[in-house]
Amino acid sequence: MVFSSLLFLFVFLPAVWLLYWLSPRRGKNLILFLASLVFYAWGEPVYIILMLISTVTDYSFGLLLSKPEWGPKRRKAIVVASVIVNLALLSYFKYADFAIRNVNALIGTDIPLTELALPIGISFYTFQSMSYIIDVYRGTAKAQRNWIDFGTFVALFPQLVAGPIVQYNTIAEQLRERRVTIELFAEGVKRFIIGLAKKVLLANNIGLLWHAIADMDAGTLPVLTAWLGIIAFAFQIYFDFSGYSDMAIGLGLMFGFRFNENFNKPYTAQSITDFWRRWHISLGNWFRDYVYIPLGGNRKGLPRQLRNILIVWVLTGIWHGAAWNFMLWGLYFGVILAFEKWVGLRLLAEAPRWIRHLYASLLILLGWVLFAFDELPKVGAYLKAMFGLNGQAVWNEETVYFAYTNAILLLILVLASMAWGRKAAKEAAAGNTGSVAGSLRLLAGSVWLMLLFLLSVSYLVDATFNPFLYFRF
Amino acid sequence: MMKKHTDRLLVIWFVLTIAVLALLFLLSPARKFSELENRYLQVAPKLTWDNLIAKKFAEEAETYVTDHFPLRGNWVGVKSAAEQLRLQQENNGIYKGKDGYLFEKFTKPDSETLGKYTDAIKEYAAANPGAKLTFLLAPTSIGLYPDKLPWKAPFERQDQVNEEVGERLQGTANLTYLNGFGILSPHGSEPIYYRTDHHWTTLGAYYAYEAYAKQMGWTPHPLKDYAVKTVSDSFLGSYHTRGQFSLVKPDRMQIFVPKEPVATSVYVADTDTTSSSLYDESYLAKKDKYSYFLGGVHALMTLTSDIPAGEEDLDKLLVIKDSYAHNILPFLAQHVKEIHVIDMRYYNGSISEYRKANGIHHTLMLFNTATFSENNEILKLGK
Repeated sequence: MVFSSLLFLFVFLPAVWLLYWLSPRRGKNLILFLASLVFYAWGEPVYIILMLISTVTDYSFGLLLSKPEWGPKRRKAIVVASVIVNLALLSYFKYADFAIRNVNALIGTDIPLTELALPIGISFYTFQSMSYIIDVYRGTAKAQRNWIDFGTFVALFPQLVAGPIVQYNTIAEQLRERRVTIELFAEGVKRFIIGLAKKVLLANNIGLLWHAIADMDAGTLPVLTAWLGIIAFAFQIYFDFSGYSDMAIGLGLMFGFRFNENFNKPYTAQSITDFWRRWHISLGNWFRDYVYIPLGGNRKGLPRQLRNILIVWVLTGIWHGAAWNFMLWGLYFGVILAFEKWVGLRLLAEAPRWIRHLYASLLILLGWVLFAFDELPKVGAYLKAMFGLNGQAVWNEETVYFAYTNAILLLILVLASMAWGRKAAKEAAAGNTGSVAGSLRLLAGSVWLMLLFLLSVSYLVDATFNPFLYFRF
Repeated sequence: MMKKHTDRLLVIWFVLTIAVLALLFLLSPARKFSELENRYLQVAPKLTWDNLIAKKFAEEAETYVTDHFPLRGNWVGVKSAAEQLRLQQENNGIYKGKDGYLFEKFTKPDSETLGKYTDAIKEYAAANPGAKLTFLLAPTSIGLYPDKLPWKAPFERQDQVNEEVGERLQGTANLTYLNGFGILSPHGSEPIYYRTDHHWTTLGAYYAYEAYAKQMGWTPHPLKDYAVKTVSDSFLGSYHTRGQFSLVKPDRMQIFVPKEPVATSVYVADTDTTSSSLYDESYLAKKDKYSYFLGGVHALMTLTSDIPAGEEDLDKLLVIKDSYAHNILPFLAQHVKEIHVIDMRYYNGSISEYRKANGIHHTLMLFNTATFSENNEILKLGK
């Protein structure tokens, strides 16, 4: 199930609210856990077993780690075992076919593919389970004895399938004790509606432009159409992903959880280092805390630091998908980040703000070309189009059509990627002064959200609007 | 202080909106057919173990909810209005053109596909050496009126497809190709296409009939031999249904009643029924008004005209067609005693055999460029 579906909004969500609200305090986590299992099984009726395996092993490992009489060697062995189980699940279901294909191609073997579909959310929940075991091992969190609470942590439906990746120590407390106030619930509703609108109104619609352009033969694309296309993709992926995170955070709030932020206006970044502090923050933090720092981070001299950066970014790349282009995409950012650490940031500091922004934006856009096509020849052809190396004109009539029919949407996207989030804080501040203008602003803000919600629903209803023209033939 | 009030307002509104819509959805009776979309809606999914494991239950449930969502038509209208407000010139694949015209996007088939289709026609011609064959390929409105598209809107050229078809069919002995562009372009300024539907109007069909009659060596009836009768002023056709644009002017639907009428009976083989009229009045009250002509699509029909012996131009004619034929057939029925009409999509037998078995010597194939390009049913001709 996805949040941006009518079934979720008008059947699943109200049912869970009702049960959650009716249930006594002690039963609330059980309700959430069961609801999460239904939510997951809806899309993965078979692979839910995998999630349960990951949950049960890490729950047991956690209990073992909390045995005071076990020495450091055995404790270490448990952490290693947990990491192996999770990475084995992840590798087999996500990377096996990629590896087999490459081995076959490289040494001419004929190993059959597993042909397995990627289980939904496996990259998220395995990382989340591992964070728990490592936190308990390090002593930054206590082992969870209550299996319902632990199951709720792993399976919690708001963040189960697309993050944010919740590190155990950030919500351990909330699993035991939390209250839903009207303010918190209202905050949740606001975040949820904003996320829904980002996904349904912005990402989906600009996605149509991207698909229209991506489906064309890159050899025939004029320069400006190619740039328009990749800009459309950049907006689509940002608003899709951050919209989903907003919905997750909003839903979390409705049930009393506070998840950490996952995005912070990434397209306002002034450097690539800056960008990665703002993009998919929970993943960046995960790799920082569980890979980069254990590898020595920046404490063992520049060469070691640059090596560590490259390792982390190749892993980050491949985390996004089992294909060479994702690895290349990670490596691409690894190299840029290493360069920035070495001298780039010092050079940038001298440049005016708009140059820094231009620098970061261009590199991000070129990165998206690597990300968008999972076949490398297509990446090459598209890059050629962007730089006019395919022998096409700078623009044509179609460019004009694409531009003006999407002009308003693009304007909204630019504004939304700069300002969304800041506005809400401003409103809250204005409302607290108690002035009439402030009150009106608050009211207008609420009405605006209501309209956004209704508009989003209309787009969802239309998505399956499918007149059948049988008299066609 | 105020924030608390607006927060409460928002929460109450949000919960109520969801609850009310959810209840409306649960309590309203499930409909089977959507008049607006002209299709059957998803039936309630069955909860069985197999359905669950195969995700079939989940998928059908999602479709069921959207299909039966309360006030579905209104939501769809809101979305279309929002799209127009943001200067989007298309919705669900339909362009909102100038002068009230709506257009469906046309995608040119690749040469190989087109070659296969024309080969199927050549095969049919070769397999039926005793038959005289005419192929009339009519443009759809986007082919004839690219200048009425929204500003700078991209389009692929139908006239090139029609020409390529002509070139590929050249030299086929018993086949005459009539390019619809040549027939209709001179009349481009007249209302020969519906603005909101994918069909040509009765006037458009008349010009095609005129050209075909001349090619057959008959004398076509001049326009003055007909009384024009308006049967509907409120026809919102298939383009409107899909695009859902607001403030679209409905089309006028007319028929040409011959001043010297010929009685024609229509036998529909699919249902084994006979009607004494070429028109089915019941459709005028429905959304799908074009089905007024011949009662819509049937796999096989026979039109028998009561033409006095010796006055007929032709005894028997086989028409292989799409729905563009529906409003040209009344004109042909004035000339031919017996017209056998086959819709390739629904007819599964061998057409060559049908022709031989019924002793028919002339075949008219009539398609519009869009159906011809997008449907591979034409390949059945080779059977």
